[in-house]
Amino acid sequence: MALPVVAEKWSNSVKELTIGATQAEGGTREKTVTVGGAKCVPFIECDGETGNRPAIAMDVLDYVPNDWPDILRKPIEDVIDEPAKWAKKCVDEFGADLICLKLDSIHPDKGDKSPEEAADTVKSVLEAVNVPLIIWGCELNDKDNQVMPKVSEAAKGEKCLMGYAAQDNYKVITAVCLADGHSIITQAPLDINIGKQVNILVSELGFPLDRIVMFQSTGALGYGIEYTYSIQERERLAALSGDNLMAFPVISNVGFEAWRAKEAKAKDEDVAQWGAQEDRGPMWETITATTLIQSGVDIVRMYHPKAVAAVKKYIDELTS
Amino acid sequence: MCKSERSGTPEDMETSADTFNVTFLPYDVTVGVKKGTTVLEAAHKAKIYINSICGGDGICGKCKVILDSGNVDSEPTINLKREEIQENYILACGSKVLDNLRVLIPTESRLEGSKILSDQDAKRFASFLSDDKGSTRFDLSPLIRRDYLELDVPSMDDNVADHERLYFAICNKTGVDADTMQTGYRVLKGLPAALRESNWKVTTTMGVRGKTNELIEVQKGDENISNLGVAIDVGTTTIVTHLIDLNTLQPIASEATYNSQMKYGEDYIQRIIYSVENDALDTMQDSVVNDINGLINLLVKNSGKNLHDITAVVCSGNTAMTHFLLALDPANIRKEPYIPSANNIPVIRAAEIGIAINKRGLLYVMPSVAAFVGSDITAGILALGLYEKEELSLFIDIGTNGEVVLGNSDWMMCCSASAGPAFEGSDVRHGMRAAKGAIEKITITKNNGSFDIEYKTIDNVKARGICGSGLLDCVANLVRTGIIDRSGKFQKSIDSQRLKETDEGLEFVIVKQEDADLNTDIVITQADISNLIRSKAAIYAAVSTLLKSMDMSINDIEKVYIAGGFGNYLDVRSAITIGMLPDMDHSKISFVGNTAAAGAKLALLSKDAFYAAGEVASNMTYFDLMGNNKFMDEFMSSNFLPHTNVAEFPSVLNEINSGD
Repeated sequence: MALPVVAEKWSNSVKELTIGATQAEGGTREKTVTVGGAKCVPFIECDGETGNRPAIAMDVLDYVPNDWPDILRKPIEDVIDEPAKWAKKCVDEFGADLICLKLDSIHPDKGDKSPEEAADTVKSVLEAVNVPLIIWGCELNDKDNQVMPKVSEAAKGEKCLMGYAAQDNYKVITAVCLADGHSIITQAPLDINIGKQVNILVSELGFPLDRIVMFQSTGALGYGIEYTYSIQERERLAALSGDNLMAFPVISNVGFEAWRAKEAKAKDEDVAQWGAQEDRGPMWETITATTLIQSGVDIVRMYHPKAVAAVKKYIDELTS
Repeated sequence: MCKSERSGTPEDMETSADTFNVTFLPYDVTVGVKKGTTVLEAAHKAKIYINSICGGDGICGKCKVILDSGNVDSEPTINLKREEIQENYILACGSKVLDNLRVLIPTESRLEGSKILSDQDAKRFASFLSDDKGSTRFDLSPLIRRDYLELDVPSMDDNVADHERLYFAICNKTGVDADTMQTGYRVLKGLPAALRESNWKVTTTMGVRGKTNELIEVQKGDENISNLGVAIDVGTTTIVTHLIDLNTLQPIASEATYNSQMKYGEDYIQRIIYSVENDALDTMQDSVVNDINGLINLLVKNSGKNLHDITAVVCSGNTAMTHFLLALDPANIRKEPYIPSANNIPVIRAAEIGIAINKRGLLYVMPSVAAFVGSDITAGILALGLYEKEELSLFIDIGTNGEVVLGNSDWMMCCSASAGPAFEGSDVRHGMRAAKGAIEKITITKNNGSFDIEYKTIDNVKARGICGSGLLDCVANLVRTGIIDRSGKFQKSIDSQRLKETDEGLEFVIVKQEDADLNTDIVITQADISNLIRSKAAIYAAVSTLLKSMDMSINDIEKVYIAGGFGNYLDVRSAITIGMLPDMDHSKISFVGNTAAAGAKLALLSKDAFYAAGEVASNMTYFDLMGNNKFMDEFMSSNFLPHTNVAEFPSVLNEINSGD
């Protein structure tokens, strides 16, 4: 007897979002990245269209990450103090779909750079690469609120993705993204209710629903990934069941979280029995990324080129 | 307590090496206590009320008093602000007496006089008195009746015994079946004399006890003898009494007072803990019985009636309150699996628990449903007649516990959620009960970037605080005008002088000090708003979980009744704006005030109604929320204005989007 088809029928789909603008669209990008659009739970093709393939954004910092393990610094050692070159290397050599520029240096403890300096950095990175840009603040409300307006203005027309709007600080970034045509990231601390509430708060300021990406704080493999997975899964099921305020593409902070784990960052001499860090670290990041992609994450922020390559291959296999 | 060994001097006034006098101002009442007694305990001893939510655990910070003279040993506390410490404020529960003291109880820690409250309640319940919709639903035959009888004088041809002769006469007059009648030994023993001395003209008093009718009293015949009953709502916070003429079935008067058990904790769980830990069940009983006796005395005095003519008392109240009233062990109410001593309390003589009416008069307690759904709810359902209606109704009684009943003539479900005391004015900086000077209505309007605030206080005097309905309006108006966002957070960007940053966070000035009857601005703080949001979330979550458990939606509900101590008024629109009530057609929602008292009154006037209450209680299914995961999910997503699932509140979306 033939097995019956048990395809689910979903009433709603995840919104599609294009990051970056070509010359024709008023920007200077050669490539744009489109995410979202799923009409079914991740990769269950028999239910419906699985939407656009997940994209990989590689993190570039404007502040030399002295706390990074050597393994992580090695591939970018030559460009580590020049964000534009670092970004170019990620695109040209490591195959990043997008660059996530993390403005660490505006943080008072990390240089306290001015809004103008940050805007210059953004411009230099935009010039150096042809892929779309994600711009991420230092996660200090007051400073981000000073810097983001300048940065946003500097990138006007490029249709960047800017982060982030949180429950206690959403007005400034929403206003500048709205004014300069960027998309926005809404953040929540692994809480499905707050996730939706921030979307409501942002949309009530008149922000269009087709320019929102959701971000739930990420837990790495071994450090709460199951919570992240389950939250992402619930968000996606809510989206597909008709909740328009949950039907957004999702971003995840994989690189940062995976490389905080001691399993990734412990040196070989300290934990010889765990195998070579050269493989171990990227593997930790890879598994964190692929697990979250399975839960429906559309954009993963990553660190290590080896992990990026592995995850790319994985996405290829899933989507081909 | 410190029992004095010495005789001769009154215990309360003596002074010795380790006993000190504490004088409470402005009442000028002095009490003698041992060194080390807390000021709060001294106040209890002096029978003076000081606000205390936590019952003396040092958590709530409501028992602020000002030390006028003398020394105390005060525990450090975070509940006093620096300015308050400079002004000699102390917490009564955390300060031990080391000296003769003079202590001033500031306005905010005081209890407003009971007369004021009683006026409020009299007003509020006037509608129930004049508009007794229930009366037509039942045969009006009171639980206790008095009948004037003229018996046939016995003769050689009519030699029926005295007792049977009386039964026959009662049966003839009232139609009560003689088989159901019972007579106590005392009455029987006095019967021959009573009949002959009165020349066979007597007045009998007969009361319903279960399925039987007890002959309570036989007295000399008097055609005009009055027969009175008292209906009582024994609330956690307020005790409300109604005096009713059982002959004419007309209300005579009503009085209310605060429940003086409040000094042992503001919610009943605190009081259960207090009574168990201090072995103080009798104290709790005395306290409530004294309140009731005081009210009954007042009723009788003011209406020129005779205490002896009160033959029946009917009480309703939550399960813990009825336990305290009868001094039944309440300990198991708050322990899993939450078992009360009794849901159906048998009829007893009121005198047995110390209620002073006719000494053979009877006490009826309305039946409860479960540990957390008491006879106040049964009485409410009875008063509103929900169990007789085909239409699906929702009944919400908002108090420290929010009880919700869903059903119609075929079935009824009920549940109870801990909403906290915020809407009763506790856990809110300038919250207060619905008494004189409480702001009960607020409107905030935007005017060229600044904010105009209009408000109305109870009795139109200077504002002393904000009561439940005012708090409800306040949150609704703050969100409508964008002063807070949908998470309830103040928006610094509004740039108003009314929004102030303090050590404890942001607060918004509702009434400036110069316009208030307080020595400070009346404000609403960020913490207040969070507490109010949590309270409304619990109520909404209870409603929504109960509906979902029955696979129903709010659209299936045809009528919603809101009961509770909000004062005279409740703005349904505000309640929907903040998401306490589901978004629905306002015409379906009625605010019905205190239904617990109304139900008790109905039962007093009609034994059929009392029987019906028993049916209501036993037919209601209790739905437990405490162990229910869905309730927790619902509660979490209700912690937003109006709700995380904004789609459930389409009219609120329109309202706020069209605002500005």
